[in-house]
Amino acid sequence: MMTRSRLSSSPSSSTVSAAGLPLLRLQNVGKTYWTAAGPFVALENINLEVAAGEFVCIIGHSGCGKSTLINMVAGFSAPTSGSITLKGQPITAPGPDRMMVFQNYSLLPWLTAFENVYLVVDQVYPDKSPREKREIVQEHLELVGLAEAAHKRPKQLSGGMKQRVAIARALAVRPEVLLLDEPFGALDPITKEELQDELLAIWRDHRCTVLMITHDIDEALYLSDRVVMMTNGPAARIGEILTIPFERPRIRSRILEMPEFYELRHSALDFLYRRFAHVLD
Amino acid sequence: MKTQPYIEVDHVDKDFLLDNGEVYPVLRDIHLEIQKGEFVSLIGHSGCGKSTLLNILAGLEQPSRGGVLLEGRQVTDPGPDRMVVFQNYSLLPWLTVRENIALAVDEVLGSLPKAERKQIVEEHIRRVGLQGAADKRPAHLSGGMKQRVAIARALAIRPRVLLLDEPFGALDALTRGSLQEQLMEIAQAEQLTCVMVTHDVDEALLLSDRVVMLTNGPEARVGQILRIPFPRPRHRLEVVNHPEYYSLRGEMIYFLNQQKRARQKTLTRVAIAKGGLEKVNLAIGFVPLNDCAPLVVAQEKGLFQKHGLEQVTLVREPGWKTIWEGIRSGRLDAAVVVAGIPLASTLGVGGVPVPLVTSLTLSRGGSAITFGRRLLLQGVFSLWDLGNYLRQTPEAVPTLGVVHSASLHNFLLRHWLASGGVDPDRDVTLTMIPPLQMVARLKAGNIDGYCVDEPWNSRAVREGLGFIVTTTPEILPSHIEKVLTVRQDWAQSYPRTHVALVKALLEACHYCDQPQHRPQILEWLAQPQYVGAALEDLQPGWRGVLQRGTADESQVIVGFHQFANGRNTCPERLEHLWILTQMARWGLCAFPRNWVSVLEQVLDDKTYALAASDLGLPDRAHDRGALLFGDGSRFDGEDPIAYLESVAIGQEPKLQNYRLSEV
Repeated sequence: MMTRSRLSSSPSSSTVSAAGLPLLRLQNVGKTYWTAAGPFVALENINLEVAAGEFVCIIGHSGCGKSTLINMVAGFSAPTSGSITLKGQPITAPGPDRMMVFQNYSLLPWLTAFENVYLVVDQVYPDKSPREKREIVQEHLELVGLAEAAHKRPKQLSGGMKQRVAIARALAVRPEVLLLDEPFGALDPITKEELQDELLAIWRDHRCTVLMITHDIDEALYLSDRVVMMTNGPAARIGEILTIPFERPRIRSRILEMPEFYELRHSALDFLYRRFAHVLD
Repeated sequence: MKTQPYIEVDHVDKDFLLDNGEVYPVLRDIHLEIQKGEFVSLIGHSGCGKSTLLNILAGLEQPSRGGVLLEGRQVTDPGPDRMVVFQNYSLLPWLTVRENIALAVDEVLGSLPKAERKQIVEEHIRRVGLQGAADKRPAHLSGGMKQRVAIARALAIRPRVLLLDEPFGALDALTRGSLQEQLMEIAQAEQLTCVMVTHDVDEALLLSDRVVMLTNGPEARVGQILRIPFPRPRHRLEVVNHPEYYSLRGEMIYFLNQQKRARQKTLTRVAIAKGGLEKVNLAIGFVPLNDCAPLVVAQEKGLFQKHGLEQVTLVREPGWKTIWEGIRSGRLDAAVVVAGIPLASTLGVGGVPVPLVTSLTLSRGGSAITFGRRLLLQGVFSLWDLGNYLRQTPEAVPTLGVVHSASLHNFLLRHWLASGGVDPDRDVTLTMIPPLQMVARLKAGNIDGYCVDEPWNSRAVREGLGFIVTTTPEILPSHIEKVLTVRQDWAQSYPRTHVALVKALLEACHYCDQPQHRPQILEWLAQPQYVGAALEDLQPGWRGVLQRGTADESQVIVGFHQFANGRNTCPERLEHLWILTQMARWGLCAFPRNWVSVLEQVLDDKTYALAASDLGLPDRAHDRGALLFGDGSRFDGEDPIAYLESVAIGQEPKLQNYRLSEV
């Protein structure tokens, strides 16, 4: 159903550097917004290192600054203190090496699935021939199983299909880091599981680094190598990081057979519902 | 006299008339009785008609056949006694929080004095903690706050029933959590009767007294109803630590996955006949445990093919309950089951009687009782210690897991406890947990021990979570363990296939008992499509050389795992009669006065005889005279009722004549 062979054999630029430095590094990152009521500290003292090829999920209650954090990695906004570097270089602006997928898909409604992907490919690879660009688009639509729906506009696509287009668009320019802001939050449970499995398969073959925001503990445990749990804002910080030891490729039903799954689930529940419970506003 | 339920959904069918004039059947034969103050969840995949059912309860839609009674009165239209909370809040955007609530109160409770109405509005704003936002309009509220307004508005007009249609579906998973707890508090404080549509299994478990699971539409029906036994008031972190939490959660996920699979490909269960066999395409269910070995061998060694069964699919199931459901519903042609299931299903233990037969005993022994560290730290190393500990600490009631009520694990654990003066229904709590979850529950401290098959005792020992206090062959040497079962009507429809199946598995049992084959079988068992556990956990039981976890030495348990057991594979009356006495002793069902004909029907030794004589093996069970237990007691089957009356611990046995199906 999906063609991945060409991708997996392609040279990858996302390997760890010889010195073994982390791909992405956040050092003492803080973010303060200046409001009419005075300074509002959203994030404080965030330290995180993500290795090349790692899958990291960030979980926390709404208002904990998760999106602020991922937006700074994307380069949409700058930290007020500390630094964020990718392969040792400070992040100063958005770039095709970090592609973002949003919960609301953010597709242009008047363009077809193909054209939505092509738009980005065209921007990032202005020197490639139109034929090459079309091939790249086709390849990535196939990757997410959407070759048949290439000519459809977002309105004619289901939520799951729209999110597949958004993922194809992000992957088409071969980012070093794939940033996902609650990508499956709006999908029904079955479609959600299908997309999780597709994402894992793509990640495995593509060997990109993933930073993903979620509110779903089971999703985080199933997908990631590490789960970063945030405390509540204001002045949110990283409260605890869970390392997820399950072998890959992972089989959903098998994970439910492992005692470690229940321990990890309980740590996360305890963190989010007791130690850093959400207070109703 | 039967008490009138608070709400009765009486055999409701619902059809939609399509534009092209065709009839689309949405719901079929939905029958539910809901008590006052009960919280019931409806769960199922999108399009299964659960919202339609809720709308019928609300009076927003009419059933095509059948009807809904609320306190004996038929529901025909919407009314303020049944308030609905929708996923999309349905607040009026130009009104503030207070005005939205007041609108409903003035409409429904208009006859009350103005001051009283005002007080009701304020009280409900407070109830959902929105005092600070009372003057805000919906556009200035978060999704969670909007839904709290909708709940306050519904409650303010004092409905008798609260109907919730995926109330938290639009909120993120964590915000949902806080609102669930608030809803639960309110429902309990007001003794509200609630029916909620959801697709979130954790939400259903936390809130409900019962979860009604609907099959896929068209023609959605009630597939299964789960009773949620957690005590109230409930708190999330306590609820997830209840020993049964993950078994129930697993059952719901399993049900939904079954429905999902059914939707993706409608399995053609059409029989393919070939080579003189009525059906050569079989789905055979098993639970991944060491003693599924005969099935694995028959598959890997091509024994099914050899006997003409060309398309055998082995279906790995998470536990005995799902296997039981699979065989009863016809999803599975045959299954390897714990030995009590054929009798229990035929007599209707825990449900409608579905006659099953067994024509082959597949394994003997192979299980153990493990106690966790908590008991060890209390100085409990043996049954004798347990008895002492319980006498000295009457407030201690350890919880022990068993895999199924009709399994030898349950019967042998109970027999063993009772032989040490421990009453399994009074001095300890027994709880049903699927085998695959035992270690996790022990590790999480939700249970104190369990009786389960290998590899799950050796796994606990290896992880230092507990120790093997006894093995089941030490309680009853060579006890019957797993049997082959099929439905009685299946056996009647496919007699030659049945014989071929017994032949293949009978050969496999003999293969399993040859010591030189065991290393190879161990490799197969370790594969993920079979048991998929670590070799180091599989090996001890498989070789019968167990580490008990209390001393350094491994111990050889003679005949720990047996399959053909010296050609002892024919269904044996004496053993199944003992199972009947145990089901009566522990209150699963009445002992059958007509036990001779019950055994006659369930034990299909004719099929066994045909298969065995084809293979040149003895065609009947050998008479072993009596079952001799490790504690010195015996059961000779001469007078089962006298035996039941002679045992010291157990429930007062009841007697009953069972009506058997026509053969």
